[in-house]
Amino acid sequence: MVFNSYTFVVFFIIVLILHNLPFSWRQKKINLLLASYLFYAAWNPPFIFLLWLSTVVDFFVGRALYTQTNIHKKRVLLVISLIGNLGMLCFFKYGTFLLDNFVALLNLLGVSYHPAKPNIILPAGISFYTFTTLCYTVDMFKQKSEPVRSLLDFSLFVTFFPHLVAGPIVRPPQLVPQFESPRKATKQQLMEGLFLLSLGLFMKVVLADSMLAGSADTIFGSQGKLGALDAWTGVLAFSGQIFFDFAGYSTCAIGAALCLGFILPLNFRFPYAAIGFTDFWRRWHITLSAWLRDYLYIPLGGNRKGRLRTYMNLMITMLLGGLWHGANWTFVVWGGLHGLYLWGERLFTDRKDARRYREGNPINAMAEPVKAGIGLSASNKWVYALLTFLLINITWVFFRSPTFTGAGNMLQSMFGMVHEATPLLTTIAIVKVAVIVAVMLVAHWLMRNTTILDLVRRLPWWVTGLSWSLMLILLILSQESSSSFIYFQF
Amino acid sequence: MPANNLRKAAILALVLVVLTIGSWELYLRSRGVTISYDNSKELWADKRAMVYEPADKTTVFIGSSRIKFDLDIDTWQQTTGRHAVQLAAEGSSPVPILTDLGNDPNFRGRLVVDVTEPIFFSSEHMSLEKPTAYLDCYKKRTPAQKASFVLNHALESWFVFLDKDKYSLNAGLDRLNIPNRPGVFVFPTFPDDFNCSDFDRRSKMTPRFLADTSLQHRVQNIWLFVMEMGKNAPPPKENPVPPMLAKVKDAVGKIQSRGGEVVFIRTPSSGVMGGAEQHVFTRDRFWDPLLAATNCKGIFFTDYQETSHFTCPEWSHLSPQDAISYTKALITELPPSFTH
Repeated sequence: MVFNSYTFVVFFIIVLILHNLPFSWRQKKINLLLASYLFYAAWNPPFIFLLWLSTVVDFFVGRALYTQTNIHKKRVLLVISLIGNLGMLCFFKYGTFLLDNFVALLNLLGVSYHPAKPNIILPAGISFYTFTTLCYTVDMFKQKSEPVRSLLDFSLFVTFFPHLVAGPIVRPPQLVPQFESPRKATKQQLMEGLFLLSLGLFMKVVLADSMLAGSADTIFGSQGKLGALDAWTGVLAFSGQIFFDFAGYSTCAIGAALCLGFILPLNFRFPYAAIGFTDFWRRWHITLSAWLRDYLYIPLGGNRKGRLRTYMNLMITMLLGGLWHGANWTFVVWGGLHGLYLWGERLFTDRKDARRYREGNPINAMAEPVKAGIGLSASNKWVYALLTFLLINITWVFFRSPTFTGAGNMLQSMFGMVHEATPLLTTIAIVKVAVIVAVMLVAHWLMRNTTILDLVRRLPWWVTGLSWSLMLILLILSQESSSSFIYFQF
Repeated sequence: MPANNLRKAAILALVLVVLTIGSWELYLRSRGVTISYDNSKELWADKRAMVYEPADKTTVFIGSSRIKFDLDIDTWQQTTGRHAVQLAAEGSSPVPILTDLGNDPNFRGRLVVDVTEPIFFSSEHMSLEKPTAYLDCYKKRTPAQKASFVLNHALESWFVFLDKDKYSLNAGLDRLNIPNRPGVFVFPTFPDDFNCSDFDRRSKMTPRFLADTSLQHRVQNIWLFVMEMGKNAPPPKENPVPPMLAKVKDAVGKIQSRGGEVVFIRTPSSGVMGGAEQHVFTRDRFWDPLLAATNCKGIFFTDYQETSHFTCPEWSHLSPQDAISYTKALITELPPSFTH
């Protein structure tokens, strides 16, 4: 079920009540686990078996990996886990994509091969829970943390409904210890959790679905020639839509968990205020960026094997990160563009460090972490943040367009290379996008060094009350049906 | 902010929400607004699941908007004792739905297909978009969506402001009527008082609409706009009638082969629109070949004294009163297997 549905409201009230009844801690955990299975089965009940399979295999393989001393046996176990997890992901998510590319390659070689289209349904959240279980087995292989003692705790770690379907991607040390001792939300946590749930729903239902999705869909679905104003409005609408959709989901997830007394990691930190692309990836889908860094970039060698390898590792990580988002080459190009941006930024930083080194200050140059906008004046930081945002908009074109032709046409329109286009969007649609995106950018910039809850804690109660009521009223009046979150398809 | 302050904020928010939404609901009710259900794809999917009811107890209706206005479901059910399942889609061709029913091995029922020729024989994306979305929704409904639909139905039965087309945030913003750039295509909006929709997917003109000729003229102007659009549209690359007839014949054949029955009907239209339809979409080029291709019974409203005299207030749909008379007449003309 999705957070923005009546079913979830009823489900969550029941879960909250059950969690606050005087059951034993073990019973409460069983309740939460059963509720999580129900939450997942409400999409497509048969796929619950995949979730069980993944949970049981990784629990036992993880324990064996930790205790096994023979390195060869350990590697075999790791391979079993990788094949199990990635094999499932490949089949369900990339099966059709791989077959299409294989057929295209054969056709290119002159072999006529036209197999029947496989009708594979993507299980909800498979990309997320696969990464959750994968990091556990890798951690066990490296003995980075203790194995989870009970199957109940491990099952709840994998399946806990707030993060199950679209993250935040949690690591065992972040969540498992929270299941070990009895937990109940404090009054403060309950109120903050409810506030975050309301905010997340407002972001998703009012801003993403009601205000921005229509313009983005109209423009990206258009078959005709687009003028620059329409094209930019559509792309900006999508920039806002995908942020409010995904950050809205994460905010709901964090809020729902907090209402039950559990703390999930932050997944977004006002990303459109990023000064540069390194900064962007520390603010956008933070738990995925950290996962890719720890389980892909660093194992590839990270920045420890020379400059060339660093650049290669960066690009490989971004390309695979792109492919994780969807089985289409457009997503790979999206990741590749981010890789190029990161290259450019790193090249600039490396040259600056080299100059400092030559100028006799090598310790400073090596010790200085890559921090957002260090050495830039306030106005330059602002300009660089704006440039970052504009370049990120270019990447969204590849993310949203289903084909390269569509993406190419959109870019041509954005840069005024299309003439005699028929205007498409109504004035009210353009105004909605302009106002929401402008307010979003200002809010991100002003909030870039804080969090929502910090702000709420500082505001007078009546200001919070007024803002809260406004969000709820708009949520009710928008009357949007329970549409799916964009990241569910990944 | 301490927990106590956040609790105060939550209480303030709750009070303001209840006051604002309550006032809005009371205001709408004071204006005479009554319960109307969203004509959503979820509602359509709910009805689509009913086509498997026993064939001797149920009749399924598909078509465009006319059959939704013209079939008075209460009269139908009281007179025949059979359940009427309304699957028509406004402004859309019923052919995708007919094809789906044809391909569904479990559908063996009685099917009435309403034909509005300009839409029925169209292969334009616009006329296929809605039924395609409806079918997609029906086939992909999850258990959670079904449960949400039940809860939504309960809320919609209580609150008149829950009418997305008329009282949602976007509907309100659209009503600001901010001028657009020259060349932007905007389909004219129907007056809010044109119709309301019940849970059986029946559309009914409101008393205010029936009493106000200026509202009726507004809708007539929309039909003139649509006819103008049709006139200015580029001609199709190939004649759409033969491929459409082949599709329809195939679907009807499949239903008949399973013991199902199909009847085509042409519901009334009048005024400029009725005249234009009968002039452009002549029976010998559209209606007669359709019946010949499918070997089905056809009931054309001008052929029967009881149905030939209706005047549609806005040229295209019957008033609720006339819908009762039309439904009674239709029941007498349909084969007994559809009504007994």
